[in-house]
Amino acid sequence: MARDWKPDFEQLVDEHQSMVFSLALRMTGDRGLAEEIAQDVFLELDRHLGRIESPLHALYWLRRVAMSRSADALRRRKVRGMDLWVEMEDNHGAFVEQKSSPLGSRLEGLLTTLPEPQRAALVLRYQEDLTPEEIAATLEAPLATVKSNLQRGLKLLRAKAESNLKDYIRVATPELRSS
Amino acid sequence: MEFESQDDFERDDFERELQQAFLRRPAPPSLKRKLMERRSRQNTERLHLRKVVWERLAACLVLAALVGGGFGWHQREERRKGEAARQQVFTALRITNRALNQLRAQLAEHDRDRQE
Repeated sequence: MARDWKPDFEQLVDEHQSMVFSLALRMTGDRGLAEEIAQDVFLELDRHLGRIESPLHALYWLRRVAMSRSADALRRRKVRGMDLWVEMEDNHGAFVEQKSSPLGSRLEGLLTTLPEPQRAALVLRYQEDLTPEEIAATLEAPLATVKSNLQRGLKLLRAKAESNLKDYIRVATPELRSS
Repeated sequence: MEFESQDDFERDDFERELQQAFLRRPAPPSLKRKLMERRSRQNTERLHLRKVVWERLAACLVLAALVGGGFGWHQREERRKGEAARQQVFTALRITNRALNQLRAQLAEHDRDRQE
């Protein structure tokens, strides 16, 4: 059964480092901080390894702790969304450009300007492809709150995209304007 | 759009673009190396801390044993001295008793001689 599964720390790092790093990066917008958070999350996993019962449990645990640590880091730094976006663009623009489309990277940048709860819900929804129920469980928040954050976040992001990314939208996705 | 249930999700172009933009990023190549270094360092520190704790615990136990032993020895020594003093008093009383008996016998003999 699941209890027969023996967690292998290095294997878990290999499998989930990209997920943990991406969650932290999209929540904080700071690559260095995201790397630090990812390390902290895995070190915490190492301490709790005995309590991890299955690969699915490990995935759920990592997601929950990564989101929680990112929120803690944001609260500590008290940085505002727009500053994060500027930092992201200034420091990591080349990386962003290499890995996703220009519109994609702009959308990603705009995400960091959203309020934290909405950002968290959207990141889990569109990066991790979670349902609202799963997001509520991960964030330990009421389902209604998560649904509301998803709706408001998406609406706000859409509005920001329409006002900030007109050029990209015109060239890349003409249908976006009509949506 | 409404987030009523899992089945209600019909994603429009904007959401599809979001999903595309939010693909997982590869972690920096240095992340795992730095992580394993920190883990190794923490494990070493934890082991060192555990060793120090055990050493201090052992030192405390030895100290407690020494103090306890010393106290026990002191108690036994006090009891031994008390017993020796009691024995000396008894010996002195026995000697006094014998001397008094001798004196009484002498007085009795003296009284008999005078009466004769």
